[in-house]
Amino acid sequence: MSALSKMTTRLAVAGFAAAAFMATSTAQAEWKPKGPISVMIGFAAGGGTDTQARLIAAELEKRKGWKIIPSNVSGRGGSVMARKLKKLPADGLSIGMAVTEPFGYGMIATKKAGYSLKDFTFIATTTSSQMGIVAKTDKGWKTFKDVIAAAKKGKVFKFAGMSPKHADINFLIEQKYGVKFNTVILRGGRKVMNAITAGDVDMGYGAGIQTKAVKAGKMVNLASGLGVRLKVSPNAPTLVELGIPHDIGAKFLFIAPAGIPADARKALADSIGGIINDPSTKASQFVTKNYGGPDVVTGAKLDALMQANVDDSKVLMKVMN
Amino acid sequence: MGLLDHIWLGIVTVFTADPVFSVAGLPISITIVMVIMGFFFGIFVGATPGIGGPFAMSISLPILISIFGFTPDALLPVLGFLVGIMKGSTVGGAVPAILFNTPGTPDSLMTTLDGYPLTKKGQPGKALRVAHFSSVSGDTFSDIVLITCAPFLAILVEKFLDFPEKAALIILSLAFVSAVVGSNVWKGLLAALLGLFIAYIGTGEDGYPRLSMGSDNLANGFPLISAVLGVLILGEVFKAFEDMWREMRETSAITNVEVKGDNKLHWHEIRRILPFIGISASIGTMVGALPGIGNTLAATLGYATGRKVHKDDPPFGEGAIEGIAATEAANSAVAGANLIPVLSLGIPGNISAVFILLATETIGGFNPGPQVFRLVPDQINQEMVYAFGLFTTMIFANGLNWTFGGVFMRWMGIMIKIPKQRLLPIVLLLTLTAIYVQQTSIFAVYVTLGFGFLGYFMRKLKLSVLAFVIAYILANNLEESMREAFAVTGADPWFLFAGPISISFIGLAIAVVVFFARNQKDLS
Repeated sequence: MSALSKMTTRLAVAGFAAAAFMATSTAQAEWKPKGPISVMIGFAAGGGTDTQARLIAAELEKRKGWKIIPSNVSGRGGSVMARKLKKLPADGLSIGMAVTEPFGYGMIATKKAGYSLKDFTFIATTTSSQMGIVAKTDKGWKTFKDVIAAAKKGKVFKFAGMSPKHADINFLIEQKYGVKFNTVILRGGRKVMNAITAGDVDMGYGAGIQTKAVKAGKMVNLASGLGVRLKVSPNAPTLVELGIPHDIGAKFLFIAPAGIPADARKALADSIGGIINDPSTKASQFVTKNYGGPDVVTGAKLDALMQANVDDSKVLMKVMN
Repeated sequence: MGLLDHIWLGIVTVFTADPVFSVAGLPISITIVMVIMGFFFGIFVGATPGIGGPFAMSISLPILISIFGFTPDALLPVLGFLVGIMKGSTVGGAVPAILFNTPGTPDSLMTTLDGYPLTKKGQPGKALRVAHFSSVSGDTFSDIVLITCAPFLAILVEKFLDFPEKAALIILSLAFVSAVVGSNVWKGLLAALLGLFIAYIGTGEDGYPRLSMGSDNLANGFPLISAVLGVLILGEVFKAFEDMWREMRETSAITNVEVKGDNKLHWHEIRRILPFIGISASIGTMVGALPGIGNTLAATLGYATGRKVHKDDPPFGEGAIEGIAATEAANSAVAGANLIPVLSLGIPGNISAVFILLATETIGGFNPGPQVFRLVPDQINQEMVYAFGLFTTMIFANGLNWTFGGVFMRWMGIMIKIPKQRLLPIVLLLTLTAIYVQQTSIFAVYVTLGFGFLGYFMRKLKLSVLAFVIAYILANNLEESMREAFAVTGADPWFLFAGPISISFIGLAIAVVVFFARNQKDLS
C-alpha cells in the first residue's frame, strides 16, 4: 500500500468515525428545553382549545419532565395570540395553541394582520373541528332550512360566531336568502354555548363543544360547516348543500415563532403527536369525545396544509368582494 | 345530573382528590391540608399588627400557582389555602386589639373599645373567647347565606340578564364601588377610570396593541398579578415606610397583663351576646353582598347598632362583652357574603374576593359567573363542582375555626412583639420574590414596583386603591360585554337603554353617584 493510499484510508476512516460520532451524538442529544415552555392559548379558559392545551401540557410535564406554563391570550379567534407569539424568541420555549383559521381566512381578511405564514413554524395539529350551526332543541328547528323560513318572514335572529369568518358566512347567507341576522362575535366556543343556553342568542357556531349537548337532545346541529355532514347529526345539511360553497371546518394546532431549531420542532411535534395518538391519555379521550378524534399532521405535510388553507381563503375573499 | 350530585361531587373532590398522606388509614387530601395550613397562617398574620389577610393572600397566590400549576386540579388546593387565610385572619385580627389596644386589621378597631378595657380588668381570656365565638358565628351565618343565595342569584341573572343588561350591571358595580369606598365620590370615580385606562393598554380587538407605544413588553398589557399586588401591597408598604419615618415611633413598652378573675365564657353570657351576634351577622352579610363596602364599615355599623340596642351594665366602651360580639360578628360576616357577587356575577367586592377571582382567572377551568350554577342534564357541570368544592372548604375552615381556632388564637398574643420596621421589608422582599417566581420575568418585577409607587401616590392623594383594582379587573369584561351588546342588538347605539332592566341599572348607577356626592356636601 502506498503512502498516499494509506493516508486516504486513514482519512476515510477518520471521516467515517467522525460521521458516525456525529450521527450518534444527534441521536443521543434529543432536544431539551432550556427553561419552562410557555404555551399561549389563543382562546379563553374553559373552551375546547384551552382544555386540549392544558391536558396536553400536563401530560408533557409528566412524560418529558418539561415545565409548561399555559396562559390564555384570547382575542380575535387566536390572532391576538399569533401576533404576540411571532415576536417571541424562536427557541422552542414559546409556543402557542390555536386553530387553523387565523392563519388562513383570518389573516387574509384583515387589512393589517401583522403576520403571515412565514412568521411561524407549525408544529402539529391535534384534531379537527365538528363545526356546526347550533341551536337549543326547544326552538323547534330541525335544520337550518327552518331558520331561513322563519327569517324570511322578517324575524331577525341573534347569531353568535367565534370569528370574523362566521360573520362573513352569515353575510353570504343573508345575501343568498334575503334575510337578516344580528351577528355577534364572542371569544371562544364556550362563550357561544353559554349564550345559546342562556337564551342570549338564538343560535351560534360550535366547533364540536356542542356535541355532548346534541347527543343529550338539548341542542341540535342545524347545519354542518364541514365539507361533509357531521357524524353526530347526519340530517343537518352542509353549508355547501345550502348553497354556500365553503368548508369552514378548522383544525386545532400548536405553533411556534418562525425558525425554531429543527430538533425542537421535531421533539415538540413527536411528543404532542404521541400524546394525542395514545388513547389512554385524557387529551386523546377529550378530542375523541368532542371532536373528530386524533388528527395529527406534522412537518412538510402540515406546511402544505397551511398553504392550501390560505389559497382556499383567498377564493372566499374574492367571492366576498 | 342534579344539584345534589354536584354538591356531593364537590364534597368528595375536596376530601378525596390527591391524598398526600393518611391518618389512621384515612387518606387526607391535598385540599384539606391546604385549608388547614392557610387557616393557621391566617390567624398568625391576622394577629400580627401591620399585615393582614390581603397581604398573606397576595404573597401566597403567586407561590401557590407556581407550585400547583395551571391545571384545574390546582383550583381547590389554591382556593382552599386562600379561604383558610381569609377565615383565619378575621379571628386573628381581634387578638392584638384585645390584648394591646392595637388592631391587627383595620376592622378590629372597634374591638379595642371593649376588648382592651376587659384586658385591663384582668379578663383577656374572656374577651378573646367572646371575640372568637362571635367571629365564628358571624362567619358561619354568612357562609350559609352565600351557599343558599349564590346559586339562586346566578339563575336569576342568567334568566333575566341579556348582553346589554350585563354591560349595564358592570357599569352599576363600578359606579357603586367608586361612590362608597374612600373619601370622595369623584376621587373614587377618578381612581376607577384610571384603573380602566391602564387596563386598556395592550388589550382589545384592534390589530395594533393599543396604547403600547410600540413596546413589546406592553403588547400583552401589564401582568395582572403584578399590577394588583403592586398597588395593593407595595403601595401600602411604601406608605407604612413613610409613616414610620415620620413618626420615628417611640415604641411604647408592652406591659404584661395580670390575669385575674373569671376568664371563662359562660352559657348565660352566650345567651346575652347572641342577639348582638344575630343583628351584627345580618348587617355584615348585607354589607358584604354589596360590592366595595368592606369589613371596616360592617364593624362600625354593627358596633353602632349594638350600642343602640344595649341597655345593661357595663355600657359599651367600658368592657362590655356585647360590644366585642357586635363588632366581631359583623366584620366576620362580610367574608362569606362577599363571594356572592363573585360567584354569581364574576364581580369582586373586596380585596379578599379580588384574590379569589385572580386565582380562578390565572389557573383556568373555573370562570365565576352565572353559568357556574347551570344544570345540564346527563352531564356534570365541572364548574358547579368547583363551586361546591369551594363551599366545602369554607365549611371545613369554619369547623377548624370552631374547634381549634380559639385555642390557637389565644397563643398569638406574642405576635405584637414583631416590630413593623423588621416586618415590612420582609413583606416587600417576599412580594417581589413571589412575583418573580410566578412570572419568571424581571419586567414583571419592575411593573410591580411601578404600580407600588402608583399605589403610594394614590394613598397620598386619597384616591381609593380598591376602586382602582376592581375597575382594573373588570375593564376587559366591561369592554367585551359592551362590544357584544352593541353587535347583538344589530349595532344599536342606544343598546344600554333598550330594556327596562338595563335602564334601571344605569339609572341606579347615576343615582348612587349623585346620592353620595350630595351627602358629602352636607358633611363638609
